[in-house]
Amino acid sequence: MKHSVNRPPTPDAAEDQGKEPTLQEIINIKLIESGEKERLMELLRERLIDCGWKDEMKALCRAHVKKKGRTNVTVDDLVHLITPKGRASVPDSVKAELLQRIRTFLMSAAL
Amino acid sequence: MSGPNEDKNTQLSSHFFGDLLDSIIVDVASECHRIAKLGLDRNLEEEEEEMRLSVQARARVADPSNSSETNTKYVVDIFGQTHPSIATEIFECMNCGRSIAAGRFAPHLEKCMGKGRKARLKVTRSSTAAQNRYSRGSPVSAYSPYSNSTSTNRLSNGTPSVAGEEYSNGTYEEPWNKT
Repeated sequence: MKHSVNRPPTPDAAEDQGKEPTLQEIINIKLIESGEKERLMELLRERLIDCGWKDEMKALCRAHVKKKGRTNVTVDDLVHLITPKGRASVPDSVKAELLQRIRTFLMSAAL
Repeated sequence: MSGPNEDKNTQLSSHFFGDLLDSIIVDVASECHRIAKLGLDRNLEEEEEEMRLSVQARARVADPSNSSETNTKYVVDIFGQTHPSIATEIFECMNCGRSIAAGRFAPHLEKCMGKGRKARLKVTRSSTAAQNRYSRGSPVSAYSPYSNSTSTNRLSNGTPSVAGEEYSNGTYEEPWNKT
């Protein structure tokens, strides 16, 4: 038997998180288990399509693909391309609606 | 409502919103990547290239300088073959029995079968019919532009067109003039 089997567990990783999940994690699990996360995601997707946000992102991607050539583009490229602009160009009304729903969920689920 | 909880709520909400948004961004990127790789996007670049090539080809065809003698002989078709500008297969004329090149056939038949006045003269059944034609008022020389275009037949409404004339009086037909 190797000695490494008996060595104590790595302290740092366990220490930071503690053995208990964070509030964030708990809520995340609750979101997923209740199906609310799925519903929220569909709602956000629908809103973003309606307001043209998705088309804008697709246009950005297409332009990038055209520039770099079809064969050279990776998903990673596109994600890095879209993320900053995508986050910045969500309409306020859409953001507000989603935030409201999340907050409602948090209040009902947090305690 | 307590302040810190509100802030925490807001913070958490923003966090989860960001989470959702990131997932959606990855989905969109993945979808665009797929479309790009599969070439489903109407092949933007390739289409533009094809457009450019087709415009070039059209320009080349429409360009009058291309139909000069040297060029037409050496234009290559899609199978890589070249054709002489005048078709060279040889046929026998059914009217006069001469050997005629295919590319020269139509003009030959025009003269041979009656568009030309000399030809008509020799084929006419009766000389009186020929006399009638000529006495219609228009001098024979008016018909000499035939050799340029058959449409002058139809345009000269005052004088009866040779084809019509023949159709009603003469017994031989000129299908080519009738088109």
